[in-house]
Amino acid sequence: MTLPESLFENLRLELRRGCLTLAVLAQLKQERYGYTLRKALAARGMEIDENTLYPLLRRLEAQGLLTSEWREEDKRNKRFYRLSSEGEEMFAWLLKEWNEINTAITNLL
Amino acid sequence: MELLDRYLQAVKKHLPWERQDDIVAELKANLEAQLEDKEAELGRPLTKEEMEAWIQQLGSPLLVAARYGPQRHLIGPALFPIYWYLLRLVIGWTTLIYLIAKTVEIGAKGLSGHAVLDAALRLPGIWLINAAVVTLIFAVVEAAGARFPGRYIPFAPMSPVWLPAALPPLAKSAGERPRSFAKALAEVIFGWLLLAWLLLVPRHPYLLLGPGAWVLASLPYKLAPVWWPYYWMLVAIQVFELAWSSWELARGTWQRPRRVRPLITHTMGLASLAILLSAPDHALFLLKNPAADAAAHGAALASLNKGLTGALALAAAIVALQLVWSVGKMGAETYRKRRAAQ
Repeated sequence: MTLPESLFENLRLELRRGCLTLAVLAQLKQERYGYTLRKALAARGMEIDENTLYPLLRRLEAQGLLTSEWREEDKRNKRFYRLSSEGEEMFAWLLKEWNEINTAITNLL
Repeated sequence: MELLDRYLQAVKKHLPWERQDDIVAELKANLEAQLEDKEAELGRPLTKEEMEAWIQQLGSPLLVAARYGPQRHLIGPALFPIYWYLLRLVIGWTTLIYLIAKTVEIGAKGLSGHAVLDAALRLPGIWLINAAVVTLIFAVVEAAGARFPGRYIPFAPMSPVWLPAALPPLAKSAGERPRSFAKALAEVIFGWLLLAWLLLVPRHPYLLLGPGAWVLASLPYKLAPVWWPYYWMLVAIQVFELAWSSWELARGTWQRPRRVRPLITHTMGLASLAILLSAPDHALFLLKNPAADAAAHGAALASLNKGLTGALALAAAIVALQLVWSVGKMGAETYRKRRAAQ
């Protein structure tokens, strides 16, 4: 990877990092487990590597933004996540911030 | 499936022990569902090679497990600026206090190359201990902050307190306000007068000491011969300063900022102090009549010489520090200008 390519990759990851949290919170208004969440995000154009998504779910839960429970589905135990009340509040704030940034960038371009 | 289980076992080994089973169970459920989807798409089970390729693409067990780690830095970005500021402050003050303490100690015990070398060699160890203590404290604060986010560690109040009104006035750079012609001329005129005064002092000591010259003459002490080379070094410094100022005036370059000249003057000043410190047995004053006065005034003279040597060693250390600071500042300025020009 040449320098501009690797620099682009670093900047791209930096740009995506915050957006991923917002995307995950947006999709977890409805209860999902890790793999179906990943598929739902990918279907809407937000591909996330499993090694990023699954630890991210754990972190968001530790921060109190998600709740989870183990439940059997299709004869397999799965951990289902959904937004907590704090998560819903945080999602509203982040969404407002995202919209403001989006408007600002659009105005700048 | 056996390969997936082996993979998960390898991941588990590197996970935080208290959450190993929970994480692996979740990962297993997700990966098995993903595998089922793949096989449903193909309409057959994956071959051994396809399975290996898929597992390979999931990433190395060590790196996958690392993503579940609680914290991957010793001091995080929120705390780092305060840490870095305090670290520099602690190292700077420690160095200054150490140098002053060592100078006084060496001055009191007598100057020797071994003592200076020993003091210099101990300094990196002192830096290391201080840096380790500061780093350890901040690492503990960071770890506590990560464990109890926003609850017990008040990060915001830890930022250095500052008030806009207390900010220092704008610094004037050397080139911002050039010296006026009148100031440059006054420097040359007073420089000549100072040189004349300096040259007259040995024959007319009252020009330096006033009435104290007659008091000194009545004392049983006299200056040691080492004061002569020191005196001529002072004259050399004054001649150098005068020649430089006169040359600037003659060439019309007195407005240019002076960068090298203070370094030369500092170096010569340090050399002059070194001359005094190299006096045999640190005897800066001697008895006029050693045979007659040794018993009565010998002890007082030894005490005087010791005290004076200590004070000179301290002065030499301060001048040396100023010199190092000036050279460092000049080097940093040159580097910054070069970087800016790139």
